[in-house]
This record gives sequence, C-alpha cells and structure tokens, in this order.
Amino acid sequence: MSKLENNGAILTVADLHAWYGESKALHGMNFHVKPGELVTLLGRNGAGKTTALRSIMGLVRRKSGAIRFADEELSHRPAEFIARRGIAYCPEERGIFASLSVGENLELPPVIATGGMPIDEIFALFPNLKRRWSSQGTKLSGGEQQMLAIARILRTGAKFLLLDEPTEGLAPVIVQQIAAVIQRLKEQGYTLLMVEQNFRFAAKLADRYCVVEHGRVVETFRRDELDAATHKIEVYLGV
Amino acid sequence: MTDLLGVPPALLFGQLLVGLINGSFYAMMSLGVAIIFGMLRIGNFVHGAQYMLGAFGAWYLLRLPELLPGLGLPSLGYWWAFFIVPVVVGMIGALMERLFIRRVYDLEHAYGLLLTVGLAMVIEGLFNVAYGAAGQTYGVPDALKGGINLGFMFLPIYRAWVIGAALVICFGAWFVIERTKLGSYLRAATENPDLVRAFGINVPRMLMLTYAFGVGLAGLAGVMAAPIYQVSPQMGQSIIVTIFAVVVIGGMGSIFGAIVSGLMLGLIEGLTKVFYPEASTTVIFIIMTIVLVFRPAGLFGRETSSHTVADLSSGRVGSILENSRLWLLILAVIGAALPFVVYPIFGMKILCLALFACAYNLIFGYVGLLAFGHAAFYGSAAYVTAHAATAWGLPPEISIFLGICVSTMIGALFGWLAIRRQGLYFAMITLALAQIVYFYAVQSGWTHGEDGIQSVPRGRLFGFIDLNNSLNMYYVTLAVFLAGFAFVNRIVRSPFGRTLKSIRENEPRAISLGYHADRFKLIAFILSAMLSGVAGSMKAIIFQLASLADVFFMTSADVLLMTLIGGVGTMLGPVVGATIVAVLQREFASFGAWVVAMQGAIFVLCVLFLRKGVIGTLEEFLSNREERRHSALDEIKPMDRSPLSQTAEADAGGVR
Repeated sequence: MSKLENNGAILTVADLHAWYGESKALHGMNFHVKPGELVTLLGRNGAGKTTALRSIMGLVRRKSGAIRFADEELSHRPAEFIARRGIAYCPEERGIFASLSVGENLELPPVIATGGMPIDEIFALFPNLKRRWSSQGTKLSGGEQQMLAIARILRTGAKFLLLDEPTEGLAPVIVQQIAAVIQRLKEQGYTLLMVEQNFRFAAKLADRYCVVEHGRVVETFRRDELDAATHKIEVYLGV
Repeated sequence: MTDLLGVPPALLFGQLLVGLINGSFYAMMSLGVAIIFGMLRIGNFVHGAQYMLGAFGAWYLLRLPELLPGLGLPSLGYWWAFFIVPVVVGMIGALMERLFIRRVYDLEHAYGLLLTVGLAMVIEGLFNVAYGAAGQTYGVPDALKGGINLGFMFLPIYRAWVIGAALVICFGAWFVIERTKLGSYLRAATENPDLVRAFGINVPRMLMLTYAFGVGLAGLAGVMAAPIYQVSPQMGQSIIVTIFAVVVIGGMGSIFGAIVSGLMLGLIEGLTKVFYPEASTTVIFIIMTIVLVFRPAGLFGRETSSHTVADLSSGRVGSILENSRLWLLILAVIGAALPFVVYPIFGMKILCLALFACAYNLIFGYVGLLAFGHAAFYGSAAYVTAHAATAWGLPPEISIFLGICVSTMIGALFGWLAIRRQGLYFAMITLALAQIVYFYAVQSGWTHGEDGIQSVPRGRLFGFIDLNNSLNMYYVTLAVFLAGFAFVNRIVRSPFGRTLKSIRENEPRAISLGYHADRFKLIAFILSAMLSGVAGSMKAIIFQLASLADVFFMTSADVLLMTLIGGVGTMLGPVVGATIVAVLQREFASFGAWVVAMQGAIFVLCVLFLRKGVIGTLEEFLSNREERRHSALDEIKPMDRSPLSQTAEADAGGVR
C-alpha cells in the first residue's frame, strides 16, 4: 500500500482496487480532494469514474485499498455509516423514487448535520420543485429530476458532495443552470468530487482535473495548467 | 319471519358475520404478507406458522403457572397477550430474518420460497409433535363476553371487537406506510435500497424491523383468533394458501389492496356458504382466476416492470454430465440392476419421483418459471387413472392415457392463466390454481375424500403383461421413466429447447427477434404438466392409490426441492435429487411425528448450503479443474498481458 500523505486533504483515495463480480474495475486508484475544492474525474466510458464514486460511498462491496475521509478510514464501512460522516451522493441515473412524490423525494435523506440548506433557499435555487411539489417523482422532466437529485442532498447538511455526471442528457440551458448552482455551492464552501464527460462544462468549474484510464488516475492538472494541457486531455478523452 | 332471497335472515346475517370475521383475519394476515413482499421481495410462507405462534403464545401466557411451576408466575389473560405476544412473535421474526431470510434477499425467489416453506414446516412440525392435531380452547375475555341483540341477529361482542380492532390496525398500518416519513423510507428502500443506504439510513436494520412488523401482525391475528378458532398446530397451514390468493387478488405488494380484498373475500366466502356451500372453500381461488384473466396485476396492483425469468440453471454446455446418450445408457443399466439391490417398490418410487422432477425441471430449470402447483398435474392424473382403473375397470394403458389427458388439459388451462406473470407471481398463481384442484378432490364424491382411491387394480398392460408381478411393474416403470427422460432431453436439445434457453437468458431480446415468448413458455408448461401426469398416473398404478397427499401443495414443494437438491437445469439433477429425497423420506419414516420438522430442516439446509445442488456443485468442481489444467498449460508459455486485454477488462467492469 502506498503511503497516505495528508497534505491537507479531506479525502484521500490510495491504491483503490474494486471488482464487480469477476471483472475488475479499479486498478489501484490514487487521488485526493482538499476542503472547498472541486475536483473532476475525467475519462472515457468504462474508465472507472463511477466505480470510484460508488466505492467512496461504500456501494461497491469487493474492494481493497484506503479511503480516508477527515482522518477516518472508510473503506470497510457500510454506506449508511459513510453518509453519516457527511458525504452525500447524487447518482448518475439520478435515483428519483417513483413511489414517492417530489416533496417526499426531497425530504427523504435524513439531516445528518446542522448547516444544511434551508428549504426556502432550495426553492430559490430550483423554483420548479416548489411548483411540482406533489407530483410523482419520476413524472418530472430529466432536468427537473437532476435538480431534485441535487437539491435532495443539499438539505442534509453534508458538505462533501459526490456528483456523477450531473449534465448527462440535459439541454444546454439546463446545463447552464446546473453550472450556476455548482458555482454557488463552491462559494458556500462545499467540497465537490464530480464525474463529468462534458469537459467544457467541467473546465469552467473545477479546480483540478484527474484523468482516469483503465481504473487508475493517470494524470492530474490544476486549473492554471489547463490551457497548456487541453490538447493532452482531449487525446485522453478521445475527442 | 320473512326470508331474504329465499334464505332465513338469521342464517344470512350469521354467515355474513362469520365472513366478516374471516375477512378481518384475511386482511390482517395478507397485510403482513403484502408488506413483507413489497419491501423485502420475499413470499413469506412461514406467515401461517407465525400466526399459529401468536395463538399459542396467548395460550401459553394463560397457562404460565402450569408451564413454569414454582416461579409463582401469574396467569396472564387476553389483554396481556394482546400486547405482549405480537412483540414476542415479532422478535422471533426479527431473529428469523437475521439468521435465515436475510441470506436469500439477493437470490432467486425459489430459494426464499423453499426457505420459508421449510421454516414453516419446522415450526409447525415441532408444535405437531408437542400437541398433535387436537385443538386447545381459549376463552373469550370477560370484558368482551356476551352479545347484543340487533333485532335481526345476535352479535357476540367479541366478534364485533375483532372486526373493529382489525380495521383500526389495518388502516393504521396503511397510513404509516403511505403517509409518513418512515413509510417513505420503506417505499424508497423497496425501489433502490443502495441509494437509501447512501443517504445514511440503515436499510438492513429497517428491513429486519419491517419483517418483524409483518410477523408481529400475524402474531396479533393469532391472539385475536385464539378465542374464535381452536388453537392448533394446523391453524396456520389451513389459512396460508388462502392468504396468498388474497394477496394476489389485491395486487402483490399493494397494502391497500390486501386490506380491502381480505375483507371483501371474507364476505364473499360467507355469502357462498349461504347460497352454494360446496364452493365456499374454492370461491376465493376462483375469484383469483377471474381477476387474473382481466387484471393480471391484481385489483389494486400497479403493473410492475417486467421481471426477467429466473436463470438458476447450473448445467454446463459440453460437460460429460450433460451427455444424454451416455447417461441414458448408464441410467438404463443402473435401473435394470436396481430391483436386485433394493425393493422393487422403492425403486419404482424413485423412478416416479425422478420422472416428476424431470418434468418439473423442464419448466423451472429450462424455462426459468418458478411453478409451484405441479401437485395439481401429478395428483389429478393419479386420481383419474385410479378412478378409471377402479370404477370403470379400464385396462392400465387406457387409464394412464386418460390420466395424462386430464393433466395435460389442466396444464393448458393453468398455463394459459399463469404464463403472463413471472417470478413469485407465477409461483403464487400456480399454487392457488392447484389449490382449486386440491379442494375439488377434498369435496368431490368420486375421489373419496380423506381415504382417496384405494386398491387400484394394476391389471394387465396391453392385455398380456401382468403388472401384479412386481418385477414386471418395475421394468414397465423403468421403460416409462427412460422414455420420459429421453423425451425431456430431446426437447431441451431441439431448436424449440434452444429458443426456450434464449427466452430464459434474455426474454426481451428473444421477443424482439420475433419469437412469441409466451407461446413457447406455454408449450413448455403444457409438456411439463403432461409429463408430471405420466408420473402421477404411474404412481397410481404402482402404489394402487391416489390420495389427497398427491394434490397437496407439499407435493409441489417436494418436487421443487428435488430439483434444487439435484441441480436446477441440469440433465441428471432431477434424477439425483429424487433419489436423495426418496432415500431421506424412507430413512425419516421411522421418526414418526418428527418427519415434517426434519423435512423442513432439509429444505432450510438445502437453501443455505447446497444452492447449486449436487450436480451443480459437481459441475463447478469439474470446470474449476479444467480451468486449473488450462492455466497450468498457460504457465508454460510466458503470460502475455497486452494493454489491450487490460482495457477490455476495465471496460467490462466500468459499464456495469
């Protein structure tokens, strides 16, 4: 196992391996996130980005390696324990519950710490949700569902958010709206780890970019290195 | 006094009251089953046993001083029981969830079904050993004694209390699940347990508590039932299948549906008792059939997303254990030698069960449909054959042919009704349909009720083979078995069988390729029913008996067990499984009353430790050995791990 340098990081992932049944998805992943930072995992389909988020959240059962969050080892903890430590997860498929109304969906995740976003502020950010409060959760449009999925985890007081492809399949105007929300979250001091394939969207927001390939982080860029590295990243992403 | 609809009003209202009482219990019980099914995806067959535990709990509390003398414990009456027993039964439920049920959440429904059936057999079997079939009486509490004369009828206060309390409890439970925060956790966890965990909710514990709550409801129903019905080990067994029918009618997993249809069906049952008593035991199952034709999802059920069929098959293409010619020969040799090793009658029992299991394997192993009503085909063929040979004096070949015809027709009808559903739904529906056949056999004159049709003449096959000679009978049975075995393997290896396989592995894809999946499944189901009929008809001639046990749902559970023990979807599995079960049954026979409990324990152990079955486990061993041999060969050459192969690996993992 590689040494765990604690250079002020709130989340450190070291030598993380993960399997789905027989097939291995992560091959020794290393990266860290500092408090207040927005780190984006970039990479092609199947590179292991989603698996990394799911592993941090405790949703991948077969894994080895270290996941340290706020000086606590989480790699052997169940998901409910990890959530109570202040990590919140917004899955790629959004995970809106069909048998719950919009309101019930929004109020589902229990509050785990003080300082969560008050409901009025959530309505200010996402006015649509107020209007559709008692509709069935899955009757919302794709963009509204994404907003609900993000809004849902802001209420709980978790300050470390895992966002899996928040812009996937959404109209440009909605993508802009979500970018504005994420910008606002950064300003409010949230720490974010985001998986994104939409590099142009991520470029505007992220502080650092980790390029994931074959289940490991192959290169990391800071925002100020971006101009020089754009070509390299595009090669990695195959665009 | 004037008659209403030609019936004295006292009788009408009396039966309506009985119906409402039964309906209250149906509602409470099916509510528990619906909650457990909805949240845990488990068909809780042990619900009846847990209801029985509730009734016995109340009875125990009353007799505390006698049961535990010397401790100076007081006798605790009804009201104590009303509050203590549901909690205790719920805790027992929590323990059962922790120890057993939790292990099958991620597995196919067949395992949960067998596990809960096994647990019910263990509990009911043990109580049967302790208390026998005799019922214990439990008095009505003093505060609820007496009754009110309503003018048109006499209403006992206790019965009014049961109806009122059941309504309050049911709608309370409905409110909690549909309208509260706790309920929203439960509903969300049903849809996506992982995500709910990721929100910080301890889903495993919540599921345990949900199960405990459902079980506690059964316990409470048991306490409330104690003063009305007799407290007996059989009280749960007689209600559980009806409960499942009620849940199917209401729409599986629909809480509201379970409550409303429970009450409604109790009333309908009461009315049937007045106007057409013969149908009163089957009316619920008949209604279920009608509901299924017009609303397959049940009265209040939402159409659930299409389940894929179960693929439990552990057969391995090209394995030596799947070589049908080789094994047909080996089985023929073993079969020919068998009567010189064991009694021919025991050999014939094995052959009959093996043929039955092969037939079942066709639908369960190769189509992936969890049928749970094969007793209907086996038993109806046995009855018809026995009746034709006994009452009509027909020769054995004609009797057997008639038996097979009837089972095939019943199979076509049941298949047509059930084929549109999958998984546990399919199991429930086939079970309930089979139950109609069972109650018909109980009531009908020609089946001779509890006695069954005895002393069936074996006669002369084709006029010249005297079947009274046990070796003749044995070799005829062997020939029939081998023909059935070969027939199943021929089907499985035919283009038809390959289509079945493709449906099992990916039904939507098979449909999109233009196959009428339902038609293929129906044909396979009918063939399976037909072969089960062959086994049942042979059984009637061999043992010269057709009895209620043949149509009872335990026979359906037994054949499922045989297939699982042997290895689902393997060629030899059913044969091996039938042999094991037959031997176990023979060995257990000497334990008398303990048999049921021990058989239940086998069910449980098989689900926990032998899920792949004997042949499946053997296949795994063989394939591992083969792999080891291959990798040993690979090691001689230097391993070539190109970056390309790594990419493929990562991709395979990532796209999940």
